[in-house]
Amino acid sequence: MSEAIAAPVRTSRRGPMIQKRRHRQLLLIYTFLLPALVIFGTYRLVPLGWNFVLSFQFWTPGKTSEFAGLFHYEEMLVYDDVFWQALWNTLYYMISAPIAVVIAIGLALLVHQPIRGREAYRTIIFLSYPLMAVAVGVIWQWLFNEEVGLISYLLRLTGLSQEPVGLLEQTATAMPAVMAAGIWQILGFFMVIILTGLQSIPEHLYEAAKIDGANAFRRFYRITLPLLRPSIFLCLIIGIIASFTSFDLIFVMTNGGPGRATELLITYVYKAAFTLTQFDYAATLTVAMFIFFVAIAIIANFVAGGEAGKVDIAN
Amino acid sequence: MKSKSYIGTHITLIAVAFLMLVPIYWVVKTSLTGENIFAYPPAMLPVDPHPFFYVDAWYFIPFSRFFLNSVIVATMAIIANLIINALAGYALTKAFPGKRWVILLLLSSMMIPFHATIIPAYLITRDLGLLNTHLGLALPAFSHIVLIFVFKASFDAIPPSLIDAARIDGLSEWRIIYKIMLPLSLPAIATNIILSFIWSWNDFLWPLLIVRDVEMHTLPLGLSAFLSYFESTTGSLYAFAVMVLAPGMLVFILAQRQFVRSMTSGATKG
Amino acid sequence: MLKTVLLNRATIVLGTLAVAIIVWNIYIAGNDDGILVGTVVDVSGQPVTDAKVVASELSLISRNVIDIQTTDETGQFRFDRHDHHAMVLQATKDGVGNSRRVEVRLYYQNQNKTLSDALVLDPDVKQGPLVSEQSGSN
Repeated sequence: MSEAIAAPVRTSRRGPMIQKRRHRQLLLIYTFLLPALVIFGTYRLVPLGWNFVLSFQFWTPGKTSEFAGLFHYEEMLVYDDVFWQALWNTLYYMISAPIAVVIAIGLALLVHQPIRGREAYRTIIFLSYPLMAVAVGVIWQWLFNEEVGLISYLLRLTGLSQEPVGLLEQTATAMPAVMAAGIWQILGFFMVIILTGLQSIPEHLYEAAKIDGANAFRRFYRITLPLLRPSIFLCLIIGIIASFTSFDLIFVMTNGGPGRATELLITYVYKAAFTLTQFDYAATLTVAMFIFFVAIAIIANFVAGGEAGKVDIAN
Repeated sequence: MKSKSYIGTHITLIAVAFLMLVPIYWVVKTSLTGENIFAYPPAMLPVDPHPFFYVDAWYFIPFSRFFLNSVIVATMAIIANLIINALAGYALTKAFPGKRWVILLLLSSMMIPFHATIIPAYLITRDLGLLNTHLGLALPAFSHIVLIFVFKASFDAIPPSLIDAARIDGLSEWRIIYKIMLPLSLPAIATNIILSFIWSWNDFLWPLLIVRDVEMHTLPLGLSAFLSYFESTTGSLYAFAVMVLAPGMLVFILAQRQFVRSMTSGATKG
Repeated sequence: MLKTVLLNRATIVLGTLAVAIIVWNIYIAGNDDGILVGTVVDVSGQPVTDAKVVASELSLISRNVIDIQTTDETGQFRFDRHDHHAMVLQATKDGVGNSRRVEVRLYYQNQNKTLSDALVLDPDVKQGPLVSEQSGSN
């Protein structure tokens, strides 16, 4: 519903009066939009262009910039092993999305049933999501602590290990450990999204299927799963975005270590820009990260067959 | 028909709820009993709990200062979001020349994650002289595109007849927004408040970039900063973590239904 | 309308919290003279006069000496305005012995407290270091 800018003409007078009113309304509309446009222009669009331009320059704060051509890109793509490691790690981190979705579907199915206390269950499982990622990282880092961590204790208790184990310090287990913390945090969120999807599936579909003799598995596979597709894809897209934005968790838990085993693109960008003060090279990394992000988003969208990620945005 | 027993469901859900709570329980427990590196196996239940680690943390870490900073920044973000997003959302309910471009602009801005803008955003903030200030901290979070569309959807759902009637009665644009559209958009307002609050309160990367002095730390930054003060884990550190988590958890528990509703309707962060 | 606001769960909880904080601060303001009182006895339970009691910081980063007091004829010692929320006490007297290092932890800075257990001077207990020492890991 949009309202045409010219009010219905009630008198037969036309001309300058209507024009002035139209102009005033247009001015009002753009005034309303101005703050938002300024904010996003300043903090999203300009930075995007700035990064792009900066990636083709040699520049340090205080000095004038020189044109660098593809120097940084060559350095990044050909000589920088850390970049490729970070790229690989970012992809690796995305695996946590489907894992979390599968668990969340299971939980949602359980909570969806007419049991007493389902809201309490839902609240408890959702509790981890509003917590700040820094605190989640800190807590899980303590859980994974070699000497005093609960995980190390459990591994020894169950006999899986004879000695204290620091999962965050070993190259092979560091990333899965961080992903476990990420899954713990996002699980409740995914569950609620899928729960909302479940609640919109009409009951009579199941009844009709039952009458036709379909067992629980077939009902799930043929009715539930297909109708959950939008919710599932929404969760997957959120999970994919998370692998580009999980700066807080990684920074606090491992800071990219051991070595570069948990270095994501975003943490590498941060280090290049703010630890090594190589703004120009970091801009190049950012451009690469952004292109990679958009490419994955487009692919995911395509696979989902449409605007899966925008389910709840106003249309 | 016999009523179904859901005992299996309950058992599974209790186990899951237990697992989800274990990390939080562990931190709270250790904040009351302190860490003992030499104790193996570690005690599952608190042994000799005492609140004195909280006293230590309170006097050692400027918690109230961090809390105040977070509150100031979050309040600025919430108020700015309400005003800017409602106005923009209202404007988008009208047809006007250039509307398609505006929507395109907003949607493409939404595709740009904040993390892809940190370098220029930092440089801009520096050039504006807003490094290490509350305003500098809050400014990028003054509006979120998702929330604009939340308002737009809410305003779109208001029957046009109501607005037309108000217009015939001679109400000005502002009064229409204030008297009719906002009261009918309480869920959108709640979503705006909750999401802009939580995104500001939990924000870590942006404060990390632009804050220089300890006095300007927000809670997440303070937590991470003081971690590096201590090599070993002591009860006070856990107590500090609990103190940092407590306000967020309290707010969530008080408004959980609305929280869950808002967070799923504003699913992706703008 | 006002009633719904007042009876809202959030208002009640936050209101109670605010009231509790105010009451607590009022209480602290009236009881924060920093008076710490205790007794020193020997192994047989007899009060010891002229014993030196050393109070040191019990903090995360230092063990500096805060204050030193001497016990009177009844074996009592008293600290005033120590301005700390946690400390370690040790009593000592030449020829009689030293006491164990006793941790005193308060709920707030300068809380008034009377120690229930006396510090026992034992010839076998070693005297701890008095000068400032950096505390490494806790």
